Amino acid sequence: MINLTINGKQIEVEEGTTVLNAARQNDIKIPTLCDHPNLTPYGGCRLCVVEVKGMRVPIASCTLPASNGMVIETETDSLKKSRSTILSLLFSERNHFCPFCQVSGGDCELQNSAYDEHMTHWPMQPQWTNFPVDTSHTRFILDNNRCILCRRCIRACAEMSGNFTLGVEERGSATIVVADSNVPLGESTCVSCGSCVQVCPTGALIDRSSAYLGHDKQMTVTRSVCRGCSLGCGIMVHTRDNRIVKITGDYENRNAGTLCETGRYKTLDEKRVRLTTPMKRVAGQLTATTWEDALTTLAQNLTPNKNKVAALASTRLTVESMAAFKSLFADGLGNDVVTSIEEGRPTALQAKYAEANGEAIEGKLDTLRTSDCVLLIGADLSETHEVASFYIKRNMPKGTRLIVVDPSENGMDDLANLNLKPKAGTDEAVFAALEAAIIKEGLARTEAKSSKTALKNALKICELAEEDVIDVAHMLAEAVAPVIVYGKGISAFGNDAVMDAMVRVAKLTGASDSERRGLLSVKGEANSLAAAQLKMDVPFDVKNRKVAYLAVGDDYISKRLLKSLEDVPYLVVQASYESELTDRADLVLPVNIWAEEAGHALNTEGRVQFAEAALTAPEGVRSNLGLLNEVAKLLNVKLNDDWRSALTARTSVVEIEM
Amino acid sequence: MTKPKISSDWMAGCSGCHMSLLDIDERLLEIAELADIRATPITDLKEPDESGVDVGILEGGVNNSSNEEVAHRMRARSKILVAFGDCAVFGGVPALRNMCGTQEALQRAYVDIESNEANSKIPSDPELATMSNVRALHEVVDVDLHVPGCPPDPDVIYYVLKELAEGRMPEMKDENLHWH
Ligand code: SF4
Ligand code: SF4
Ligand code: SF4
Ligand code: SF4
Ligand code: FES
Repeated sequence: MINLTINGKQIEVEEGTTVLNAARQNDIKIPTLCDHPNLTPYGGCRLCVVEVKGMRVPIASCTLPASNGMVIETETDSLKKSRSTILSLLFSERNHFCPFCQVSGGDCELQNSAYDEHMTHWPMQPQWTNFPVDTSHTRFILDNNRCILCRRCIRACAEMSGNFTLGVEERGSATIVVADSNVPLGESTCVSCGSCVQVCPTGALIDRSSAYLGHDKQMTVTRSVCRGCSLGCGIMVHTRDNRIVKITGDYENRNAGTLCETGRYKTLDEKRVRLTTPMKRVAGQLTATTWEDALTTLAQNLTPNKNKVAALASTRLTVESMAAFKSLFADGLGNDVVTSIEEGRPTALQAKYAEANGEAIEGKLDTLRTSDCVLLIGADLSETHEVASFYIKRNMPKGTRLIVVDPSENGMDDLANLNLKPKAGTDEAVFAALEAAIIKEGLARTEAKSSKTALKNALKICELAEEDVIDVAHMLAEAVAPVIVYGKGISAFGNDAVMDAMVRVAKLTGASDSERRGLLSVKGEANSLAAAQLKMDVPFDVKNRKVAYLAVGDDYISKRLLKSLEDVPYLVVQASYESELTDRADLVLPVNIWAEEAGHALNTEGRVQFAEAALTAPEGVRSNLGLLNEVAKLLNVKLNDDWRSALTARTSVVEIEM
Repeated sequence: MTKPKISSDWMAGCSGCHMSLLDIDERLLEIAELADIRATPITDLKEPDESGVDVGILEGGVNNSSNEEVAHRMRARSKILVAFGDCAVFGGVPALRNMCGTQEALQRAYVDIESNEANSKIPSDPELATMSNVRALHEVVDVDLHVPGCPPDPDVIYYVLKELAEGRMPEMKDENLHWH
């Protein structure tokens, strides 16, 4: 610990703390602009300067490490004067006529800083130069006229999304923020994660979707969890008049505020037509009806067919709803086809492995964030679990190596140090070849033997080049913290033998040992792991079933599933939006969307997270859980509401943190 | 004690700041009780008393020789000169023409704009004031108090007027400080 004095107050902080953070931890406010708590300090704006006893000139506190015995002043007259001067210079550089700026009136850190210094005007007038405005991007606008060159966006692009799209061009006051080698943002390598917009302190980067719809202080902000995929990134849902204005990353969450385009923007693109009244098929036509009638009709159709139901639920529903669904249709009514919309494709294989193994085999996402060598197989993270791809990408300049194994094109191919393009469907041979190569090269971290011909034989099957496989063997086995990330390519199309081979390679390379678990599967949608834990991971087989009950919520359904429903005598759909599925249903029960109900989500690494409700549902719509409870009551089923125990009844592929 | 004399005028603005002043509603009567409201664009008297006023208030930026005259006259005749609203404080919306230059702005406004008739011309009567870059008031004369806002909020205006009418200098900070 280090002792220092700020404004006469004795404080104690951990070694390595910057003076700025030392002050913050002790509620001493030092004005800042370029600093952002989630980004590496840059020390560019000089607004945070402080006086340190014994030092000749004021120093930027955001980059100054605190040291023992330091005596610091933050509010002297001369500091106040220099802050005003710095702000004056900033205002004089560009166009900061606030009245027609999106962020003016509370959301602008530059304006707020000026207010804090009681600046009523600009001592120096602007230099009247036009800077470029880039409107080429579909999600946001970059107006260099409002930019203060704090470079937060550049740091966010690099440190949060690992995308390194943004940079600067020109020098001095002519400096502008540009994408790649100064191409329009819309044609750049940008992946539309929006992190740059989230961290921009001014109106230089603004979202198209939320611009001019209100300031933060006019909005209600609700802490929730993104339902876009199983990573379960923490989100803050900003609403106004019961409408989502924007979604931002939750800095407090373990994903530290990083989101992908799906989480931040695509969720808001919703164009489907909302269902608000129950409907039943009368003389071949779907006809609006009352809830009372809908539920009576449901009971009439379910009661004689209690155990002839095929039931399927979306993995976007809350854990509570999924557990209730399982409890109702499987435990209560005795059906064996009670599954999720994913039918176990992203999870069943490894769940089975873990069960046989008796303990978890997979690690946490943090393992990925700190890995120096990643083997990615059977997954295109940039398509399906994008923030996980950011975890890898942002470490690559630090030397993290990436090996992509994919027979087809993969969005991460270009970044990979090595691409392996094996013959499709030969993953077992790929791992067998790796295993043999590791042993042959004497790289194995555990005792292992391999036959002389193993490598040649495996290579023949997967059609990879020997030198590539040997390179990969070296990269993996010589890394300090290797990680194998696998996806649906393995879990949906592999088999037990592939799992075995993969785990063997993980052990041989030291990816998995007694200390760490460097094996991760990304699974599927939001509550993919919960579906596996509830054993809702079987194929949706409707043969000989009298009723199909689909609780799809706000999810989409595949053409394949839709087709499989053709011969079902009675189809009940619990959904939020009109779709081909509801068109075909005999009974439609309108329910909440994700943002309208509170509940838990279990992410791919076994983290249970609570999502608050951000919106009030339209009238006439039921909550998913509430409706399942009503149905249970109608059928005299007592639901097990202990979802926590239900989730842990089965050995999990990854440790579940309640 | 004699009531302080207050006078106001406008230059390159949209008169919105004066509209906002009227928006203080019945509180205007209270100010009229406390102060002697002299020349303003909305009263009969048009020029501040030659003998001077205690408080001179100017809306708008300085965009031509005529504005300059107004600014200098008000400065010379006021004890306290107030830059009233964003245009007077910063240059405001009119100052955006500085980004392209006066000539281009005139060309666009009088000639090129789609709604103009063919052979429209930039007015060039020698009687007209000479155009300049739009300047904030403090670039032309010394200013004692800046009241930003586009327009300033009626509550802020009331606060400022009341303080001035009662002989105090308003403190422009916290809820009274808005640049928009
Ligand atoms: S970025 Fe901030 S200071 Fe600049 S114009 Fe916008 S609100 Fe005003
Ligand atoms: S949206 Fe994301 S990827 Fe695109 S420039 Fe901003 S931070 Fe970089
Ligand atoms: S665009 Fe925003 S975040 Fe980026 S440098 Fe400019 S002000 Fe900073
Ligand atoms: S990675 Fe997944 S959970 Fe995270 S923001 Fe994107 S879609 Fe949402
Ligand atoms: S906040 Fe420290 S230099 Fe900008």
